Amino acid sequence: MAIDLFYFFVFPGLIFAAITGAFLSWFDRKITARVQFRKGPPLLQPFYDFFKLLLVKETILPKKGSPMIFLLAPVFSVFGATMAGVFILLPLFNITTGFRGDLLVIFYLLTIPSFSYIIGSLASGNPLASVGASREMKLIISYELTFLLVIAGIIMKAGQQFDLNSVISIQQAGTPFIGSISGVLLFIAGIFCLQAKLGLVPFDMAEAETEITEGMFIEYSGSAFAMIKLTKYIMLFVLPAFIVALFMNGFRLEGISILWAILKIIVVVLLLTLIRNTNPRVKIKQAVKFFALWMNLIAVIAIVLIAFGY
Amino acid sequence: MNEFMSIVSQPAVCSYLQFMIFIPVAAGIILFLVPEKYIRIKGILSVAVSLVTGYLTLALFSSAIRMVPLDDLVAKSCMTLFGVNLPDGTSGFLTITTDNLSKLIIVFISLFAFLILLFSLSYIKQGRVKNYYPWFLITLGCSYGAVLADNLLLFLAFWGILGITLYKLIPGHDEESSSTAKKTLILIGASDTILILGIAMLWRLTGSLSMNAISLPTDNILAVTAFVALLVGSFTKAGAFPFHTWVPDYSKDAPASSSAILPASLDKLLGIYFLARITTDLFVPGDWMRLLLLSIGVTTIITAVMMALVQHNYKKLLGYHAVSQVGYMITGFGLGSLIGIAAGLFHMINNAIYKSGLFLSAGAIEQRTGEENIDELGGLSKAMPITFAASLIFAMSISGIPPFNGFASKWMIYQGIIDFGSGPGIASKLWVLWLGLAVLGSALTLASFIKFIGGVFLGRRKTAFEKVREVSPLMWLPMVVLALFCIFFGVFATNFIVPKLIMPVTGEFQFTGFWNSGIVSLLIILSIALGVIVYLAVSLKKFRTEDSFIGGERFHEKTGYPTPEFYKTIGEYRPLAWMYKKAEGKLFDIYDLSKDFVLWLSHKLSEAHTGILPAYVIWVFAGLIIMLLIMI
Repeated sequence: MAIDLFYFFVFPGLIFAAITGAFLSWFDRKITARVQFRKGPPLLQPFYDFFKLLLVKETILPKKGSPMIFLLAPVFSVFGATMAGVFILLPLFNITTGFRGDLLVIFYLLTIPSFSYIIGSLASGNPLASVGASREMKLIISYELTFLLVIAGIIMKAGQQFDLNSVISIQQAGTPFIGSISGVLLFIAGIFCLQAKLGLVPFDMAEAETEITEGMFIEYSGSAFAMIKLTKYIMLFVLPAFIVALFMNGFRLEGISILWAILKIIVVVLLLTLIRNTNPRVKIKQAVKFFALWMNLIAVIAIVLIAFGY
Repeated sequence: MNEFMSIVSQPAVCSYLQFMIFIPVAAGIILFLVPEKYIRIKGILSVAVSLVTGYLTLALFSSAIRMVPLDDLVAKSCMTLFGVNLPDGTSGFLTITTDNLSKLIIVFISLFAFLILLFSLSYIKQGRVKNYYPWFLITLGCSYGAVLADNLLLFLAFWGILGITLYKLIPGHDEESSSTAKKTLILIGASDTILILGIAMLWRLTGSLSMNAISLPTDNILAVTAFVALLVGSFTKAGAFPFHTWVPDYSKDAPASSSAILPASLDKLLGIYFLARITTDLFVPGDWMRLLLLSIGVTTIITAVMMALVQHNYKKLLGYHAVSQVGYMITGFGLGSLIGIAAGLFHMINNAIYKSGLFLSAGAIEQRTGEENIDELGGLSKAMPITFAASLIFAMSISGIPPFNGFASKWMIYQGIIDFGSGPGIASKLWVLWLGLAVLGSALTLASFIKFIGGVFLGRRKTAFEKVREVSPLMWLPMVVLALFCIFFGVFATNFIVPKLIMPVTGEFQFTGFWNSGIVSLLIILSIALGVIVYLAVSLKKFRTEDSFIGGERFHEKTGYPTPEFYKTIGEYRPLAWMYKKAEGKLFDIYDLSKDFVLWLSHKLSEAHTGILPAYVIWVFAGLIIMLLIMI
């Protein structure tokens, strides 16, 4: 029990995932700055942001909304991200314990942050937040199937096993799943799902600073917004780690392989950053079509290929 | 007389059985005599009856009885009591089976009946539905009867009465609700006819009518027809595609408590109970039948939830969900593995819990606001905090948010599908399809409940609803109890509920996935507590309340983006737009389709009515000759 609390709150849960995610967020911003020929923020900028929001800034509550839900939703989103993070990172760090979840559990836990954002934003009673919430929900509907198909493809490759430990050990015994045509296709679909889950351009229409002024988060400020930032940091680490676990045979924690592990995460984040810096924001209808038609098609082709052994 | 005395004097559990069925029915019939003026008294009496039968079901649940030939109990005691001689042929027909499945189901029937009657005490006002409580009690008694009956004819008798009580629990004052009632009666009645045909075929094939004795593989055309005919009965009752169309209409027009007891809980329990009997006891479905079941399952999930997405009336929205959730249960039973059946049963119970809860909260909202359209509502969370909290829990359960009960049973179904995928048959090869559509259905469910929760409880409160208050304790108490059940069944799913309640029915099995709901729930509580502490510690003094910022514009009453507008864009894609248009034109409604067909047919037949006498004489003689030919 005590060890489970440690897993959840310290390592590899809340604190570890948040700190790593914050550094990755710095990396993302630095790369973005370099792409735009700017200098970029200092290394500790994400921490400055977080603690300023948490400790210094005042929290404004909506007058006509439901303050209780408005404040609790970010907490629940931190929980969802952390819990999914623990279930993803424990197998990655090769910690075997009775406290574990399978791919389906992870899949469902990963929707909790988006769900909480939506509930929280609707609780504010702001129509712009409603627009954001509506877009986020439609985005969820469209990428959820693709994301599931990606996971189903992995399950097929792993011989109907769906816990992350087996997925990683099967890859480490053989070749990583990305080393095949179907694997590459699934990886592409998976990366775009990540982009949508993280709310990065081209799928940031739920926040869309320039048109609906942060949409879902328009009413958030102070410590409540700090929680949302925290969730975003955690997700920025946890989701790439999930992709690494699914496709790139996870981490090997000995000698030089540790560097490889870090490199894999950084490569995935770099990929996400580059996509977000080289694309415009699409409209929600385009996004729905993109996932419902093209990404699902890619995933289905990959699954058919897997069925034929490619 | 001796035998009757021996039953009364001997408090064996088997003597409960007859009372369980007869007490509610008799009480219901007696309550017809009490004038509607004393509706409060009728209500309280009904609650008392449901408590008594609830106690009996619990006693039966904890007993070890398996099969009881009721001939000895009922028939003979009635005979000696009333001095009537029942024909000898009845022996063997009044058999009651009390295996773990029926025991489980009757306990939940009692639970829902009690809670919903409690809710009705303050919800059903005089003149709303005529003879509400008598029909409710008859429903209760007949539900017990249907679940406990072992003989298919006995089962059919109770099942048929339930169709009538369903018809009677809807007001029928105005045109709309009476046409809905008619539609319900006709659909249920027609499906019962098909069911009777199925049972007749079954009797022809096996020569037996005892559920316990029959086990028929679906390998010839007659067996397949019988299987499908029985499925039609079960699907119409439970509300599965394409026989579901009465459910949304019924939910819209009936009082919320009627929808909560029948389409939401009892009809699910009974319909899926019968499905369980069909697929596990009566028949041994082959691969193609599994394919059929799974296809119907996922079609039900997706079509119903797509329709729910565009509803503006929250009761109708809930009605469509009452349909869509059935798809998961059918999928579970279609898998046929132990975990699949267990998941189907578990989902049935979970669904009955949160769906009846949702209907009750719909009733509470309707009572306090008098409004059934989501567009007109909003911001009720402060005014009705208990209803809101309960509804949020129900909504999260039905959308499969961990760690609530809906997640636990869906997770089991998904596991079942993945396991099923390693099988040899054609249905197994398509496992990704079943899994994908089931999960998509779950995401769409979440979307439509965002609409429900967001539109009704969150957002800005309309000035018209400034004076809305929380409902009376009689109404919120059942909701709170059901919400607690949702949490309890979710948190203790893997280590207590499934092993203790479901495994005795299906047999032992191992989960192939990993889910520690207990620890996770504890962590949720800890995280929320920690979050609250952080808020309080860090910025208690820095909380300020301010009206929303919408780019500097001023707020007007009409300013807003109501949640039913959320998914408009979804309906704009070309194939979907076409489907929605056709669905609104009732193209997919089997009731309207068959109505058109029948009208067309009667029009054709009316052409034979020429009014010329010799023509009629020829018809009469032709009919006679055909009858003679058949009889010879």
